[in-house]
Amino acid sequence: MKKRMMVFMAVFMVLALILTACQAPAPAATEAPAPEQPAATEAPAEPAAPAAAKYGLFMSHMTNAFTIEMSDAVKSKAAELGVDLTVFDGGQDPAKQAGQVETAVTQGISCIIIEPASVDGLVPAIENATKAGVPVVVVNQAISKPDAATSFVGVSNVDGGELEMKTAAEAMGGKGNVAFLLGPMGSDAELGRTEGYYNVLKNYPDIKVVFEQTANWKTDEALALVENWLQTGTQIDAIVANNDGMAMGALKAVEDAQLLDKIKVYGLDATPDALAAVKDGKLAATISQNTTPQGQKAMETCVNIVKGDTVDKTILLPFALITKENVGDYLK
Amino acid sequence: MNENMKRFNINSVRELGIFLAFVFILVTLMILSPNAFARPANLINILKQASINGILATGMMFVIISGGIDLSVGSIVALSGVVAASYAHPGEYPLIVPLILALAVGALVGLLNGAGVAYGGLPPFIITLGTMTIVRGVALIAANGQPVFNVTKEFEAAAGGFVLERVPNLVVYYVIITLVLAFVLTKTVFGRQVYAVGGNETAARVSGIHVDKIKLAVYTLSGFLAGVAGFLLASRIISGNPTSGQAYELDAIAAVVIGGVSMSGGSGKWYGTVIGALMIAIISNGLDILNVSSHFQLIIKGLIIIVAVLVDIKGKAKQ
Repeated sequence: MKKRMMVFMAVFMVLALILTACQAPAPAATEAPAPEQPAATEAPAEPAAPAAAKYGLFMSHMTNAFTIEMSDAVKSKAAELGVDLTVFDGGQDPAKQAGQVETAVTQGISCIIIEPASVDGLVPAIENATKAGVPVVVVNQAISKPDAATSFVGVSNVDGGELEMKTAAEAMGGKGNVAFLLGPMGSDAELGRTEGYYNVLKNYPDIKVVFEQTANWKTDEALALVENWLQTGTQIDAIVANNDGMAMGALKAVEDAQLLDKIKVYGLDATPDALAAVKDGKLAATISQNTTPQGQKAMETCVNIVKGDTVDKTILLPFALITKENVGDYLK
Repeated sequence: MNENMKRFNINSVRELGIFLAFVFILVTLMILSPNAFARPANLINILKQASINGILATGMMFVIISGGIDLSVGSIVALSGVVAASYAHPGEYPLIVPLILALAVGALVGLLNGAGVAYGGLPPFIITLGTMTIVRGVALIAANGQPVFNVTKEFEAAAGGFVLERVPNLVVYYVIITLVLAFVLTKTVFGRQVYAVGGNETAARVSGIHVDKIKLAVYTLSGFLAGVAGFLLASRIISGNPTSGQAYELDAIAAVVIGGVSMSGGSGKWYGTVIGALMIAIISNGLDILNVSSHFQLIIKGLIIIVAVLVDIKGKAKQ
């Protein structure tokens, strides 16, 4: 009987994968480079000069569009600056990434750029590196003990929320009713982005928040929630969502109620479906956290540190607003 | 005869209790929000929002009456939705292709659950907890972690359309599925065997019922209906989202339990499950309309589930 179960299991897995794999582009996940062999962009064969600085990029993983864009940005900047960079794939395992960092430190790396696999788990490895005199630039995801690293390059959720709300407020002409779709209560992104909304609203006393509920980042929850809001007949001029997933659900509810011309929907994250909706003129705007500039800035910062320049402890980059006018730059 | 009469009366009282609670909540919300909640358009909206959970709850009811549980339905909704949306891009395949694939994916996972329970001897909680996790992983890999979008108008209309320009298609599907399966549960040999297996498995086996086959069938049915729900949800949100359907199994179980189906199996009525599904949708809708904070909504929903089961247990004790 166990055999029968195994057969079921195998058949199911294979079918499910075939069904989807032959339709969508093959998932990058299956093609992640073998973790033991860092993808060396410039093979450090024999050091031309003993003093040549070596740089390492430690990615949490290399399996989605975001991490691939990030590592490409760092690599291209390294090539532009003519420095020696090695990329390590942490395989989403904090212990493994910590091991990679420790090994690199003992082998005499000059500066580390890390996109940490865990906000807590990498703190000891980063502390050890800086104690050993190796500067560490943390990129995108801040660690829980910021002082452990030399510098942080990234974005602030509050800034993203402010840009999104400011865009909505200006489109509303500074007055009217707004509804907020929030992420899971208490998550970093939910708190930061929502704080940004209220920072902007201080300057717009005539904008009233009529609804404010969580839809837990989910499209389906946001759809049902906004359907219910619309049933109340309360006038809503704009729906501002903590992420694009919920904005897409809100958009469907508004479209179904044929209110697309009255209610503008705003999202954040610049996901592919949201970009397509912006292009179609349905989603009013989305916000990008500018992954490529983050990677470039991190590489630049590392090189500056090695040169002996003093750099800021926290380097925050601006978000980018994506509307129908400039969406073409983001669609690939 | 006398004994039968007495049992019938007590059962009726218990069911009446659930029905009264339902009416009480409905009337309370109508009084609190006469201009929004009680509008006909909103009542149709509630039926629409109850439909997907209602379809899942119908399958869950069969599983729970047979003495089991199915935790995998939420993940099946996600995977079958991703599969459906992947085959629903404009200019590729007719609508029947994503539909059949979604149903097949659901039935297949259900079959796997059933085989694990019936032939592998695994506790239902364990095997379906396992497939819940595996299937979610497969959905994420299949969709590359991103929603699958850009679907045909026909695909969108499958759930988004209306019958007679008024009644949402979703509601029509739910009513048909419920009535057909109510007939299966109450009027067929298979239905009576499901009750028998859940009531006393040994007795059922001794009396010649193929217990394993019944179990295989109920999990396959539950998986199949989750495939239907996944297809409809993908159509409703015009995308296959690998993170959708999370915790849907809990809403389905809640609907069944609120409706008076005993978690220990062997008893329960189909119309109880319908009331349970409607009750969950009404509470969510009513609290959203009254703008009750998300935090309080969780507390209220939890309390209603506990009270419903308490009624169920007290009712049984009297029996």
